[in-house]
Amino acid sequence: MYLVANVNVEICASKSCKLCTQYCPEANTIQYSEEMGKEQGFKYGSAYIAVDRCKGCALCVWVCDSLAKNNAIKMTMIDQLPKAALTDNITYGDKSTTAVLASPMVG
Amino acid sequence: MSLDYVKFSNGFERFMPKEYRDMVEHGPFGKKVTVSQMGSFKEALEEHPMCAGCAMTLFIRLAIIAFPNPEDTITVGTAGCGRLAISQAAIPFVYGNYGDQNGVASGLSRGLRLRFGDKPKDVVVMAGDGGTADIGFQQVLHSWFRKERFTTIMLDNEVYGNTGGQESGMTNRGAVLKMAPLGKKFEKMDMLQMAKVAGCAYVATVVPNNPRRVESVIKKAVLIAREVGSTYIQAYTSCNIEYAIPTDKVMEDAKTVENDRYQFTEYVSEEAKQYLAERYGYKEFLPKPAAAIPNKA
Ligand SMILES: Cc1ncc(C[n+]2csc(CCOP(=O)(O)OP(=O)(O)O)c2C)c(N)n1
Ligand code: SF4
Ligand code: SF4
Ligand code: SF4
Repeated sequence: MYLVANVNVEICASKSCKLCTQYCPEANTIQYSEEMGKEQGFKYGSAYIAVDRCKGCALCVWVCDSLAKNNAIKMTMIDQLPKAALTDNITYGDKSTTAVLASPMVG
Repeated sequence: MSLDYVKFSNGFERFMPKEYRDMVEHGPFGKKVTVSQMGSFKEALEEHPMCAGCAMTLFIRLAIIAFPNPEDTITVGTAGCGRLAISQAAIPFVYGNYGDQNGVASGLSRGLRLRFGDKPKDVVVMAGDGGTADIGFQQVLHSWFRKERFTTIMLDNEVYGNTGGQESGMTNRGAVLKMAPLGKKFEKMDMLQMAKVAGCAYVATVVPNNPRRVESVIKKAVLIAREVGSTYIQAYTSCNIEYAIPTDKVMEDAKTVENDRYQFTEYVSEEAKQYLAERYGYKEFLPKPAAAIPNKA
């Protein structure tokens, strides 16, 4: 098993600064959804990770802890994630993306 | 592939390749995207085999987002780590022998001008410090002296990363590397000064811990290269592997190096300033009113 980044939606949605998205070295990996926080009653949306793209560098953890000062991202073993975003389940809208969450464990 | 030449005909959209449709419908083709919108649109760059947490990867990602017209851009690269990612974008990529990137780009940019006239086609070279300052040195310098109109970006990780840690001209004096065990004996080359001497119209240094600044320098460099002359960006893009930087400390390292030897500097020739102000509305380059210039009445 290996570590991937995991955004805590409750914590991220209180700030939703999108900084982590600008620092992840991988393209199309940390995505942003305007709905993700809102459906749980939060004012803003949340960042989330396309875990099949994440290389586990934890650079985003440093960004959220040290630049955003929000501690919303933790590295997590991929089989410990209940449901996660995968590239194939992400759709792009005008200003935001939507992800249907699924089990990250393939096969 | 330009939207001017490849248009979607009504009813035939679904026959276009999905990758291309994605770029037009949800990506950067035909519209402006910015660093602050990242995470909300489909990026031209895709998966690639560069190391986890590599700052060079982040820089390439930001640079591609910053291209003013990605659908009319061609990238040129050479041997080294960067090409592993640059080649995995929905933008044509030309790859030649190690070090010939600026020669290839000179021919390409001239050919594109003959073929497409005044419609801008942007040529952007991205190559390592070894590719730029050592192996490709004479072609780089000649393209600048000849004022070839394209952008050269050095991905400076201060080492030959792709081949396991030999010193390059851009390695710092005294640095000990796997394949330079006695420490480098010479100073880091001053390529910025050389770019100015050779007549580049725009020369800037940048570090990827400031994504908006990366965006801003790339845009200016590419726009100036359309008409005014050669432009050069030197980016510090650390190598985690050869300099043993823990991946979650890559941005701290970037900050330290920025303060040490990579402070932001930007040189813009007078002609380039005027061009950016007049053609692209860059307010900071509008001529200052006479009263605002001290001692020059
Ligand atoms: C003519 C030739 N000589 C040597 C090589 C082997 N080679 C591949 S990448 C590389 C070094 C790359 O270093 P640099 O340009 O600094 O880029 P980096 O990998 O550090 O990004 C070398 C020597 C080659 N591909 N072609
Ligand atoms: S840096 Fe933290 S708070 Fe900001 S968007 Fe990312 S996860 Fe949310
Ligand atoms: S761990 Fe690294 S690759 Fe994964 S989402 Fe965070 S920054 Fe991106
Ligand atoms: S070897 Fe160094 S420069 Fe090359 S991809 Fe890995 S970390 Fe990046």
